[in-house]
Amino acid sequence: MVGPMYDFVANPLGAVRLTFDKTIGSGTDPSSFDGKDWGAVDLFRHFLFDQARLSQVPILDGATVNWIKPNTLVRFRGMIQDMLGNELYVGAYKDGSVWRTNKFMDISQCPVELNSPDMRLWERRLLYCVPVPGLNSWAESTSEAAVNMCMDSTSEQRDKRRRMDIEAVDHNDFPVSGDESEDSPSAKRMREDPSSSQYLDPKNEGPCSSHVILPDVDRDSLPCLVKIYDSPESELKLNDVFEFVGVLTFDSELPSEKVDQDEFSNGLCDDVSVNFPPNKVPSLHCVIHRKLTVYDFLQNSPPTEPKPHLVKEAREALLRHLTSILGNDGVAAHFMLLHLLSRVHARADNVAVGKLSLNLTCISKEIASVFGTKLSIVIKNLLPFTKCIPLTVEYLNTASLAPKKDYQINRLIPGVLQLAEGSHLMFDETCLETGTLNSAGVENARLLKALTELQKVEYDFKYYKMEMMADVQMLILSEGKSNIMPADIIMPFQPSSAGSSDVVPAEVLEAWRWYLATVRSMPHLIEAEMQKVVENDLVTARQADRSLGSQDFSRWLTMGRLISASFGETSLSLEHWQMVKELERLRMDRLK
Amino acid sequence: MKPVRFEEERNLAKDFLSNFADANGESKYMNILQDVANHKFRAVQIDLEDLINYKDLDEEFLRRVTENTRRYVGIFADAIDEVLPKPTEAFPDDDHDILMTQRSEDATENVEGSDANQKMPSEIKRYFEVYIRAPSKGRPSTIREVKASNIGQLVKISGIVTRCSDVKPLMQVAVYTCEECGFEIYQEVTARVFMPLFECPTKRCKTNNTKGNLILQLRASKFLKFQEAKMQELAEHVPKGHIPRSMTVHFRGELTRKVAPGDVVELSGIFLPIPYTGFRAMRAGLVADTFLEAMSVTHFKKKYEEYELRGDEEKQIASLAEDGDIYNKLAQSLAPEIYGHEDIKKALLLLLVGAPHRKLKDGMKIRGDLHLCLMGDPGVAKSQLLKHIINVAPRGVYTTGKGSSGVGLTAAVQKDPVTNEMVLEGGALVLADMGICAIDEFDKMDESDRTAIHEVMEQQTVSIAKAGITTSLNARTAVLAAANPAWGRYDLRRTPAENINLPPALLSRFDLLWLILDRADMDSDLEMARHVVYVHQNKESPALGFTPLEPSILRAYISTARRLSPYVPKELEEYIATAYSGMRQEEAKSNTPHSYTTVRTLLSVLRISAALARLRFSESVAQSDVDEALRLMQMSKFSLYSDDRQRSGLDAISDIYSILRDEAARANKMDVSYAHALNWISRKGYSEAQLKECLEEYASLNVWQIHPHTFDIRFIDA
Repeated sequence: MVGPMYDFVANPLGAVRLTFDKTIGSGTDPSSFDGKDWGAVDLFRHFLFDQARLSQVPILDGATVNWIKPNTLVRFRGMIQDMLGNELYVGAYKDGSVWRTNKFMDISQCPVELNSPDMRLWERRLLYCVPVPGLNSWAESTSEAAVNMCMDSTSEQRDKRRRMDIEAVDHNDFPVSGDESEDSPSAKRMREDPSSSQYLDPKNEGPCSSHVILPDVDRDSLPCLVKIYDSPESELKLNDVFEFVGVLTFDSELPSEKVDQDEFSNGLCDDVSVNFPPNKVPSLHCVIHRKLTVYDFLQNSPPTEPKPHLVKEAREALLRHLTSILGNDGVAAHFMLLHLLSRVHARADNVAVGKLSLNLTCISKEIASVFGTKLSIVIKNLLPFTKCIPLTVEYLNTASLAPKKDYQINRLIPGVLQLAEGSHLMFDETCLETGTLNSAGVENARLLKALTELQKVEYDFKYYKMEMMADVQMLILSEGKSNIMPADIIMPFQPSSAGSSDVVPAEVLEAWRWYLATVRSMPHLIEAEMQKVVENDLVTARQADRSLGSQDFSRWLTMGRLISASFGETSLSLEHWQMVKELERLRMDRLK
Repeated sequence: MKPVRFEEERNLAKDFLSNFADANGESKYMNILQDVANHKFRAVQIDLEDLINYKDLDEEFLRRVTENTRRYVGIFADAIDEVLPKPTEAFPDDDHDILMTQRSEDATENVEGSDANQKMPSEIKRYFEVYIRAPSKGRPSTIREVKASNIGQLVKISGIVTRCSDVKPLMQVAVYTCEECGFEIYQEVTARVFMPLFECPTKRCKTNNTKGNLILQLRASKFLKFQEAKMQELAEHVPKGHIPRSMTVHFRGELTRKVAPGDVVELSGIFLPIPYTGFRAMRAGLVADTFLEAMSVTHFKKKYEEYELRGDEEKQIASLAEDGDIYNKLAQSLAPEIYGHEDIKKALLLLLVGAPHRKLKDGMKIRGDLHLCLMGDPGVAKSQLLKHIINVAPRGVYTTGKGSSGVGLTAAVQKDPVTNEMVLEGGALVLADMGICAIDEFDKMDESDRTAIHEVMEQQTVSIAKAGITTSLNARTAVLAAANPAWGRYDLRRTPAENINLPPALLSRFDLLWLILDRADMDSDLEMARHVVYVHQNKESPALGFTPLEPSILRAYISTARRLSPYVPKELEEYIATAYSGMRQEEAKSNTPHSYTTVRTLLSVLRISAALARLRFSESVAQSDVDEALRLMQMSKFSLYSDDRQRSGLDAISDIYSILRDEAARANKMDVSYAHALNWISRKGYSEAQLKECLEEYASLNVWQIHPHTFDIRFIDA
């Protein structure tokens, strides 16, 4: 047991140093550590996971950033928004006759003689991470440490959270897009008048006058510059949601110095620290990182084993709830459930297999005002990352949907469609009126279409465009069939009552979240026998109706998969296949 | 490792410079140095390839040069100083030279110059710049492949230039004069920042203790042109789910102004760190910025004609060319995931290959690019075919008829937002010059573009007369268009002309026109159902029945084929003429001509045949090429007018018989091989099954005999 020797949370660098000295002491050449670990990471892993102390590590966010001390161990949960390339640093050097390391540090303790032969340059990767876009308040995690400091009882806290949840939701009925709503006047002003940003922030006005403060850099959504050591590049991808545990270096007291007014910096300086002054964006020297799943966002970890009765119960209850929310429209509720369960499983020949976008039609402005809000609250409560966007001509013409590379500051400017895997987007097309789209609007409409049809977003790199895979559930509310976003399922919505809005207890919500997360990730199989039946059904259907294409076939199979998954089953049964056909028949009747 | 002695290294370099002989036995570097001595140009480019080919090659030396390149640039410069020949030509003295002569006179008088700062650095005397260039062979690395371990080494990278700074002077040697003693003081500058000298370091000033004031002499100092640029990885080099990396590149001297933003270039250069200086170093700790000091710049060529074969591609192509079935194989490898459509894929392949452009003596040009139009019901993978072709072609632009910007398809005059000048901006067709332009939704094109496209498709230029700018731009592009029928779906009850929503003048410019119909039959439905189920089951597409060729091989093969320019031999002229007149007559016979057989058709036949000959790597067009060309044209027509034929008078069997009879009579032969027969009848739009039926029926009538195995036909003379 090595644990007690070090205080991992308060002095993680001590542990790094000690292990380094120990390894050097045993006669290993420091140059062999390039891109490798000498045992420090294992030690941390043992402490955090084997001893389950992860919850003791405080979470870095807008609230905690002010009291967490630098050079301590913190956690940060976020989405990789941009990759800034590699950074070289002096990994190991000789201080007199003793080898020292600078790993997991920004500033070395003692001056290093440059150009000395006993200096090893190592590399680390810089990732710019932001809180997951559209993260719902229930999924925000608070670490025990923080809870202990701020609250005295957890139950009270949860109650409070619940209330805050609803309040938060009520208060922004149709938030423009999560955090960048109107309530931050400074951000708005900045957007309207680029020159004012310089006025607001004179100290940042360096020679790189193009310095932009990204709209979502405010107190509530704290970005973080994560420095990754020694892990293969393929492990961390753009838009992945990760939890990084590492050493925080952040100094809010440090006055932002005048960026060196050297004569050459009017060239192409894009030194990272110029663009991210350390007093604005904390950096985290990552020791351990892990990819997060929906389970990690649930407050209490429920049983991972899907028990059949639990699944069935949750399905029944959820379906009931959806039906009542949708004004007793059972068919629409069924489709809604399938839609909430969909995700992209595979891509073959340009087809994203498994997506099921839903377009609820026959929704006028009045109906939208009744049901749209309720629906968005329900979805917010069920899925971790959601966004709701009212689509107007003005929005299409002005919004920057696709992320765009800004070569002036060498950064990827985030767009609305840069989303984490499994995000849910709800578009309200009912407020769309006639108007003219400008070229940006046409481009945005094209992007939305590509996202619905192919689940791909084109990122604009000015000289070329890069297609990035996306996995976003799309729900569209519109009066007629949406032409901007051709959804898989067009569903005329026929409510028979105003729809209830009974408050669901937190435990039930939690169970539903667990249910959705569990059945979504279940495997699926079509037995050979069933396959024959399906194939024959498809051929007969096509013989009867020539207009059916491979897209329709694909949709049915996706629905089959989702229906059997919703019952917690892993293979398609005849009964569920019949259900698919029945649902489609009901839908077709409505379409006529 | 034994310590490297730079004296020895210099001698090795000297040795190489004076003794290297290129393939022609010329001493390459001495010739260059002579030109340098004559002040004809400045750059001395040491090609590492030459070092590899050098007869007394020292492997170790080569390794040291690539791994510590910056040092060796200096060593080579020193070596050149020693071996530089005397100028053989008089050149006009400029002030630099006057200064130099004066200085050298001073130096001889002045024996005091033992002081390092007073000694003239060799840099200031040099009129040349040394670059060490990486061998052109071998794949360039991507930016993300350049690691910390590459520091100091010569690396070769490819990428796109995203930003360029202005060219600025960079001080190389600072020259001061002392107010007190009047001496010139030199200071060599190696970094981007330097600390100017303030006190005169000469002995005289020191002994007199006068602390002479130094004044920087800008005219006497030596400056280098300096430019900074940003490079970014190419989209195809970025792994899935990652963002392109970028790198700073420094260009010095002669290499400045070689690149502009948007250029795709291959660079060789030295990967170097710049440790932060001053306050930044304190704050940033020990992080170092890196940059690439450029040593050579090569612009990427994206044209077929300049495609360079890599590695064993040449061999692979040779083995492919020997394969008899290459035509089918290549065609199959286009868009392998799209099932069927063999003839369309063949046509697409021919579009990629194209025919040679002809320029007649009187200046008239005959285009060699093939134009192809795909027409069909929605959802028959037209757009996918188009996109795939663009990926295979080294230069291709995909656009839709509606276009996206104001420039449209052709060109537009626009106001430059910065300078407020009118500038000409090329549209998709101009951008695709010497390549392929795929236009989706061709029928939904803007009216203005539609008129302009007539010119593009035949004259291959875009003329513009707007806002005082009158010019014509080259648009030597092959047009691949996709269009929907007039009513969204092809209406079989209407005539094809009604279905096709394009004017005849435009249609006649297409060499081939294809209608892809969604046929209603059980087999294809089952095929589709199976495919969809398979994809959902296995999360991948079902395996193809063959292994398609890699796009890179395809590209290499096509580029090799495009170098040929086949001619039509004399003996074929008659054959083609007859075929053409036959087509004309047939059209005259029918009372509702659907086809517009014009001279354009004849040119199309010639173009397609030439493309086929290119595919066979043949310098001359063979009869089989012409036959295949005619067959393709017939098939393309057949796809449009198939249903009309059934209505026309003669029944199929007797029509086939008369075709065969006529052909045999024309050739004055009694034997007709099955392959020929099949070719003839398919040109008239009949199927193989119909031919078989005809053969059997007439054989039973004892009109001809059929060979039991080969099905060759022998007429029984009555």
